[in-house]
Amino acid sequence: MASVALLSRLQFDAHTRVIDVDAKFTMDQVAAACAAPAVGYQTTHPDPSKPLRVRRTTDDDSGIALPRAMTVAAAGFTHFECVDVYVE
Amino acid sequence: MALLDRSRWYDIARSTNWTPSYVAESELFPPDQSDPYGIPTAEWETFDEPYKVSYREYVNVQREKDAGAYSVKAALMRSQYYENADPAYLSLLKMHYGAIALSEYAACQSDARMTRFSKAPSMRNMATFGMLDELRHGQIQLYFPHQLVTLDRQFDWAHEAHHTRNWATLAGRHALDDVMMTRDAMTTSLMLNFAFETGLTNVQMIGLSADAANMGDFTFANLITSIQSDEARHAQIGTPVIEIMIRNGKKAEAQQAIDVAFWRIWRVFALLTGIPMDYWFPLEKRDRSFKEYMHEFVITQFERQLLDVGLQRPWYWEQFLDDIETHHHCQQAGIWSWRNTVWWNPTGGLGPDERDWLEQKYPGWNATHGKYWDVIIDNLRNGRPEKTEAVGMPAICNMCQIPISNKGGTQWKARIYQREHEGRRYNFCTPVCRWVFDTEPKRYKDWNTIVDRLYNGEINPPTAENILRYMGSGVVSEGGRDAHGYDWVKGYDRPGTEAAE
Repeated sequence: MASVALLSRLQFDAHTRVIDVDAKFTMDQVAAACAAPAVGYQTTHPDPSKPLRVRRTTDDDSGIALPRAMTVAAAGFTHFECVDVYVE
Repeated sequence: MALLDRSRWYDIARSTNWTPSYVAESELFPPDQSDPYGIPTAEWETFDEPYKVSYREYVNVQREKDAGAYSVKAALMRSQYYENADPAYLSLLKMHYGAIALSEYAACQSDARMTRFSKAPSMRNMATFGMLDELRHGQIQLYFPHQLVTLDRQFDWAHEAHHTRNWATLAGRHALDDVMMTRDAMTTSLMLNFAFETGLTNVQMIGLSADAANMGDFTFANLITSIQSDEARHAQIGTPVIEIMIRNGKKAEAQQAIDVAFWRIWRVFALLTGIPMDYWFPLEKRDRSFKEYMHEFVITQFERQLLDVGLQRPWYWEQFLDDIETHHHCQQAGIWSWRNTVWWNPTGGLGPDERDWLEQKYPGWNATHGKYWDVIIDNLRNGRPEKTEAVGMPAICNMCQIPISNKGGTQWKARIYQREHEGRRYNFCTPVCRWVFDTEPKRYKDWNTIVDRLYNGEINPPTAENILRYMGSGVVSEGGRDAHGYDWVKGYDRPGTEAAE
């Protein structure tokens, strides 16, 4: 299965990270993959009562969350594309 | 034997330009090595070095400096200082020697280029001494740590670091190759002598020497003082070059060269200096924070020197001031978490008292950088040390080669600034690093970060063990671990401390 290297900005994390995701991953799985090396290691979940959402990074943070069930392939992510992982 | 006073012969001795007859001037001084700005040779002959010295005087002074540094080292060898030193202080020495010792040889080559290709005879004269200075700095900073290799194999990185592909080495080499190794003689003098040495290292060494003396390491303090006295002299090569360029309509070019170099070196300098000052020295040995040091010794002085020669502050000055509050804190956190990738043993060093000090010096530290350490301290206090070791890879800046990080906690400042160029996506930590790339994409576009090397197949297989091996960790010596074995966390067992509640 094809994978894509995304650059993850997890809300309130000090680091940006390189995360390999499978083309078939849903956005919920992408969010989980991005949170996995950060939450509990160097940061906490931004709000455990809410699901983590994924959007494309924009300069003014005005991007809209992608549907949680949308796949990586459907989103059309490409190598080293930046995504925000955050709670709404 | 009676000697003529230097002032009676110096002007004759430095008038060494001649009219070439066997080759064209453009062959004697190829513009790409010598002067791409097209400034007339007669203008370069007006270069007047602010610090005059004859070869005889130079040799006498340098001999005394070397004798002083080596005799202090010999006298203190029996004191067992290094055997009993704080492990975090030894980490400073390991980091310093690994990053700096062979960089001095690189600087020697840079000065050699000025010695050969400068059109200004006086500049060639000064650069000759600068070249010999840097050769001495390389030798002495390899010799001193050599005795420590038997104490701790990590000191072997003094000689090995520049021959490895360790990410920290790549960061330093990328910056130094850019400002010292791959420029013409004139631009090198702006970038190395003015921006790097005058702006940062010259005054940095004063602070480093004082800190070493505070720690009781008079061998290293004396060594650094000895080097700094050379830097103070040859750093002045750049100023007359700027004056000549401005006089000949090349102010914008001079400004850009300074702006590029100052930022490039700053990004590395902050790690080498800021992290030890604010995290590794024991509280009772700290006389000022890195921020206070930067404002007192670097910002005020460098800004005045820029204005004095007719230039302006770099366009990114506000970003630079913000970086002083942020960059080294983020990298202390990241380097500690990815500590098995470096050749020294960083300490977390963040007991309750240290946090109070940081909050006082950097208001808001607890709410931002401190949140990062809250998670780590919680893991350590609850028996989960394995959760303090980072997994995965951080995104790396395609310019400074340093992980792309910023304030976390209650803020969300970490952001990647990208640029598409010839079908490739480049990632930068700040708009400034991206601007440097934009000034000359052809120069920078083919360089690969450690992360790029994972994805282009250069690190194969791309396993965690193989990545470490690729970087020399576990090859030259074992990788880093917490310098104090997490002892600093015990402070939170004290009733009433914030993290204990």
